[in-house]
Amino acid sequence: MSLKSQLAKFTAQSSHFILHDILKRGGTSLPGKLAVAIDPDILSALSADFDLVVVTGTNGKTLTTALTTRILRAGGYTVITNPSGSNMVQGIAGTLLTTKVKPSPNGKKPVAVLEVDEANVFSLAKAIQPKYFVLTNIFRDQMDRYGEIYTTYQKIVDGIQVAPDAKVITNADSPIFARGDFKNQRLYYGFDNVKTEDYQDLKAPNNTDGILSPTDNSVLHYNFITYANLGKYFSVTDGFKRPELNTAVTKVSELTPKFSRFSIDGQPLRIEIGGLYNIYNALAAYAVGKAFDVSPAEMKAAFEENKQIFGRQESLKIGNKDLTILLIKNPVGTNTVIDMMETEKEPFTLITMLNANYADGIDTSWIWDAEFERLHDSKLQAVMTGGERYKDITVRLKMADFTIQETFPKTEEIIQAIEKAPTDKVYLAATYTAMLQVRAVLREKGYIKEEF
Amino acid sequence: MADYTLSLAHLYGDLMNTYGDYGNIIALRYYAKQIGVTVDDQLVSLGDTFDPKAYDFALFGGGQDYEETIVAHDLVGKKEALKEYIENDGPLLAVCGGYQLLGHYMEMADGTKVDGIGVMDHYTTNMTDASVTVDKGVRLTGNIEIKNNETGEIYHGFENHQGRTFLGKGEKSLGTVVYGKGNNGMDKTEGVIYHNVFGTYFHGPILTRNGNLAKRLLATALERKYPEVNWSDKLAQVQAESF
Ligand SMILES: [Zn+2]
Repeated sequence: MSLKSQLAKFTAQSSHFILHDILKRGGTSLPGKLAVAIDPDILSALSADFDLVVVTGTNGKTLTTALTTRILRAGGYTVITNPSGSNMVQGIAGTLLTTKVKPSPNGKKPVAVLEVDEANVFSLAKAIQPKYFVLTNIFRDQMDRYGEIYTTYQKIVDGIQVAPDAKVITNADSPIFARGDFKNQRLYYGFDNVKTEDYQDLKAPNNTDGILSPTDNSVLHYNFITYANLGKYFSVTDGFKRPELNTAVTKVSELTPKFSRFSIDGQPLRIEIGGLYNIYNALAAYAVGKAFDVSPAEMKAAFEENKQIFGRQESLKIGNKDLTILLIKNPVGTNTVIDMMETEKEPFTLITMLNANYADGIDTSWIWDAEFERLHDSKLQAVMTGGERYKDITVRLKMADFTIQETFPKTEEIIQAIEKAPTDKVYLAATYTAMLQVRAVLREKGYIKEEF
Repeated sequence: MADYTLSLAHLYGDLMNTYGDYGNIIALRYYAKQIGVTVDDQLVSLGDTFDPKAYDFALFGGGQDYEETIVAHDLVGKKEALKEYIENDGPLLAVCGGYQLLGHYMEMADGTKVDGIGVMDHYTTNMTDASVTVDKGVRLTGNIEIKNNETGEIYHGFENHQGRTFLGKGEKSLGTVVYGKGNNGMDKTEGVIYHNVFGTYFHGPILTRNGNLAKRLLATALERKYPEVNWSDKLAQVQAESF
């Protein structure tokens, strides 16, 4: 490491110490900024210390990163990772610089598992050669900011192209990942839980993108669909089809809002979070574990070790109400949340809160692509609405044929809303800034303590 | 209640549905149901035939640039049928990319020129075209409000487009921009009306946020199919959502 890099690293570590240990605020961005300012090559100077795994895609980055970290640790690796939310290059630099890397207990090279925004994959991969890219999925997400799915995917491909030796661990069920002009080896994960005799001839629903075959732009068909445009796809015009899987979900045994039981490569597993989409995150992490030679038994133990990593989906007690807070931000994400609510066995109330600030996406038209109508087939008993754009979401649900029990334009009234629910179970689905506002109220009233 | 049905063609609904355009169908169905009318929607996509006599309404939404080029190619085969439908006053709502492709051509952000089918007289340049003198090089994104020149109705929406559309002969605008950018950011027009075709850059989707327009389109389609019924009277009883 050059003197300049050492100085940069020292600056980062001491600023992290001051921010984190003295000021008691989680500071990962500032130290990175300082270090990169002193030595722009600081990241590549560090890369000799560990193997880099980059986790990217639209949904599921955070959980995939957390599960991968846990699996690799169970396999005896020392792992450094970035806290969710600080996945800009500055934040990543801060993480890498302020973490002391101890040798791995298993004697192998330590691993850095990083959650990286699609737009930052290129600059990070250029700075440090990744050993693996892990691709979760590409869906439409706040298109006023991020652009079209093919543009988003191209940003990832640009990053893969600067790391020709890296392997790409990719979601075989997503047709868009069959595209991309790069020669890197691809390792495929996907679902194979449907018997051949139960195969159907399906097309993806109207509100999904990325359903064209990369060979001739015909609309793809599916033997089965797991959700959105994910599944075992094939073309009817030529032989193009989903690639063979290296790692597969071989069985789905039980889906509930709070946990799922399933098997990967025949190994029975359980994760403490609902939603079929989260099984994909477990599957991606499992595929990474396999690539690093972690044993199935160690991976099983890693999944079951600690419930806390299953972050985002949060359950609280508000008086006698059992409240679950869910983040919604795009049509596919919302549909997966709806899928999960369909597995709820008890009667429940839904409070939906819509904001349209920059962090939420300023265009609210996506709510019309979320299939709220499907909740007619669930145990949903009452619907309430709120948020700064309560009018939009109220009309959305009204046009989905629900009677709106009450609307709460003011987030301060959220506790009253929860108390007015006619059921014990309450689901609160909110966009990002609406969720932050709800959490602020709940914290002020003492229902939650920790920072998000 | 009598059985009234509107057959709706969702043109390329599997490829051109980027910003909740399907919501327009949800809104139509919502109002139709209140006056005893069923809306049957059918997907008409790549390789399918569009029978101009089989439909009472058509929705042609917007898509991603990539899908739009594929659709443009296929659309050539549906040109005569669509022309017949439009000239026979068939009601059609065209949003963003769908609106562009009914005109002569559109240019994508990267400069690629994509031929429309020219059944309407407008054309669309891209944001960096020499003719663009306002907001050159930037997407036109944000909340928008327009006023329909004949009815005085106000429509709200969210626009998000790089293409700049210029209306041709015989085309009226859907409205005059009150705030926002509209067709091209320059001439204060937004959208188009030609026969019973309503084109717009509004997402939102437009019929969910503008119940008055949804009711107007519904009345147009129903009066054409069931002229013996007084639809205006029925629709006057229905409360329009507007926000
Ligand atoms: Zn648009």
